[in-house]
Amino acid sequence: MEYSKLKKILTISSFFLLIALIYFAPNFLNDYAIRILNLSAIYVILAVSLNLTNGFTGLFSLGHAGFMSIGAYTTALLLMTEKTKIMNFYMYDIWPPLQGITLHLIPSLLMGGTLAAIFAVVIGAPTLKLRGDYLAIATLGFGEIIRVIFTNSHSITNGALGLKGIPGVTNLWWNWGIAALVILIVKNILDSSYGFAFKAIRDDEIAAESMGINIFKYKLMSFVISAFFAGIGGGLLAVLLSTIDPIMFRFVFTYQFLMIVVIGGLGSLTGSVISGIFITIMMEVLRFVEQPMNLGPIAIPGIPGMRMVIYSLILLFVILFYQKGIMGTNEFSWKWIIKKIGLGKFIKKEAAEQ
Amino acid sequence: MYTKQQKELIFLLKNDSLPYVELSILPKDILIHKSTKMSFEHYQGGKEMRKQSKIFSLLAIALAFALVVAGCGGAKPAPAEPGSSDVIKIGIFEPLTGDNAAGGQMTLEGMELANKLYPEVLGKKVELVVVDNKSDKAEAANAVSRLIDNDKVSVILGSYSSGLSMAGGQIAKDKGVPVIGCSPTNPLVTLDNDYYFRVCFIDPFQGAVMANYAINELGITKAAIIKENGSDYSVGLARFFYNAFTEAGGEIVADIDYQKGDNDFTAQLGSINSAGPEVIFAPGDFGPSALLIKQAREMGIEVPFLGGDTWEVGEFLELGGAEVEGATYSSHFTADEPATEMTQTFLDAFKAEYPEQNPNAFAALGFDTYILALDAMTRAESAEPAAIKDALAQTTDFVGATGLITLDENGDATKSAVVNQVVDGAFTFKMIIEPK
Repeated sequence: MEYSKLKKILTISSFFLLIALIYFAPNFLNDYAIRILNLSAIYVILAVSLNLTNGFTGLFSLGHAGFMSIGAYTTALLLMTEKTKIMNFYMYDIWPPLQGITLHLIPSLLMGGTLAAIFAVVIGAPTLKLRGDYLAIATLGFGEIIRVIFTNSHSITNGALGLKGIPGVTNLWWNWGIAALVILIVKNILDSSYGFAFKAIRDDEIAAESMGINIFKYKLMSFVISAFFAGIGGGLLAVLLSTIDPIMFRFVFTYQFLMIVVIGGLGSLTGSVISGIFITIMMEVLRFVEQPMNLGPIAIPGIPGMRMVIYSLILLFVILFYQKGIMGTNEFSWKWIIKKIGLGKFIKKEAAEQ
Repeated sequence: MYTKQQKELIFLLKNDSLPYVELSILPKDILIHKSTKMSFEHYQGGKEMRKQSKIFSLLAIALAFALVVAGCGGAKPAPAEPGSSDVIKIGIFEPLTGDNAAGGQMTLEGMELANKLYPEVLGKKVELVVVDNKSDKAEAANAVSRLIDNDKVSVILGSYSSGLSMAGGQIAKDKGVPVIGCSPTNPLVTLDNDYYFRVCFIDPFQGAVMANYAINELGITKAAIIKENGSDYSVGLARFFYNAFTEAGGEIVADIDYQKGDNDFTAQLGSINSAGPEVIFAPGDFGPSALLIKQAREMGIEVPFLGGDTWEVGEFLELGGAEVEGATYSSHFTADEPATEMTQTFLDAFKAEYPEQNPNAFAALGFDTYILALDAMTRAESAEPAAIKDALAQTTDFVGATGLITLDENGDATKSAVVNQVVDGAFTFKMIIEPK
């Protein structure tokens, strides 16, 4: 069989496998496990979008939490019913035009993503001329500014009190479907000439510029796309949690996704997906180390924070022995898997014949 | 084993003076990176290193895998239905790590103390399942979901911080398991959620208590407010103080914000001072509040300071020193004047269990959530979540360590508040204010 044909078959069958897994998941998983899977899908979206700027374009941006909060608040306010809004705004009155609006999930999410993207243009235009650490500081500052604005605009965001009762309209289909779509779109962007320009800028800005790439334009493009998906991810997170407040979106929240991206590999979509799922599930699975344990004669009392210690150890191992993260800059490929399971010779012959 | 030509090349390679060569001429077991002049030894060394690191990384993966397997194994045993086995499980979700860890720990101590005193209900042993929510909303939601689906608890206690409680509350509501809150004071927590109850009073009441205290007891009509504008607690308290104070005929001469993490309040205090208030209401965390009062005294502002229940921790006195003398705040509980016989029981037990610590309001509230849960189970004669919920909703004049608790239609506690004051470097009871 030809390799390209084989690849097509494998890709299509894995797509159906994913659909089957989502379809049958409620049969053998409880709500808790499904909740973790939903959360992993959202974390994958956020990690992939962060990787687009930090890993593929070489922009060290730390404003992700800011874009997420824009998406989360927009989605939440557009989804909530009038009754819930009145209940939430018991201390300050809601801005009247906002009160009556109730939209469906997709327009709300798109609106959240678009607003985040608009903010990305506004913030990106002046700051993307900065490099390295300076860009990181500027975007970090932006994230904090957004948070402070949200804390103080009482009649729109309900200030520090936060919002509650966001309708939980998503499920595994929505979260994983959007995650798959985001991965597909980002993958296609990266394989296009835009993607090559991003990577060229990452590898050597001056060389890229001398080859005729408009650095500023491509940087801004990457930044805006990333913010758009961060907004959508934030919106999905708000729907999953059903409640948000500004404190949630502090800059440390960005680090959580930066960590996922670094562990997976800066510049690898596969890495972000793997580590996004792995870390989310691991943090929950590791809860057992904080429970009191009975090992026969020895009883160990539960120590809160133990799983953070183990998490840090795993992080240390990754940083020491996989400096470039689990995947480095490599991507998932069927060729690699076929080689690993011992059918490599078959493919090599095929390639030699061609 | 190498040809002459190959040996020559290796020699050149060793001396780092390899000219341009056709890489294919080199023996197959020597690989050279195309662009770098890596010497032969160097390459060999690198290979050794890589081998070692591979072993380590394999170990790391094996460790992680073992943990995952052990974790799955550990989470498996779960009884079929809540309350059907020979133990009754009570879930606790508290911030034991992260920003709110201090409050979470104190509350947990109170709950564990209560569990020690009353280990049984309905003739069955009570097992506490404690999960940490890391002061993080997503984790709080996961924690509650885990307690309900994996551990099949009958009732859940927690959590310190209103934001965390709201994230967990939604899941409890969807799953129909009651939650008893210890100290989330934001009114939103129980609104539109029939399954959330709490043993503490809420921000509106606390704000009103201090406003009435200022007007009736201090005889003051001009007050200033300084609040942390990123904290739901501080903003809520300030707002309700404002409403109650102006309604009772007082005047708010200044209403000023500070940010989380601020250490210098001189600018805000300066503008407050120029407005000439007779009292300053400063709800907020104990850390910034103590600093703020200290700086005010240094600036020569002599008017009394009023605050909320967060001040009642030892660090407030340590940070503030002599300057916080006279600071007055509302609290849930006082050790000086036991409100009920349960208060005395709690105080005795606490002193026996934690001799180095002073009994605090958070531990007392944690204690109350636990005994209220047991009381509801006894009244319902069942450990079914739905039955417990109905029993909780009918709670009237329940004798707790923090006073008599009656739950209203929202699930909020109607109970008396205590006003305490710092006198001679210690929290001293001042008066009890009854709910209207």
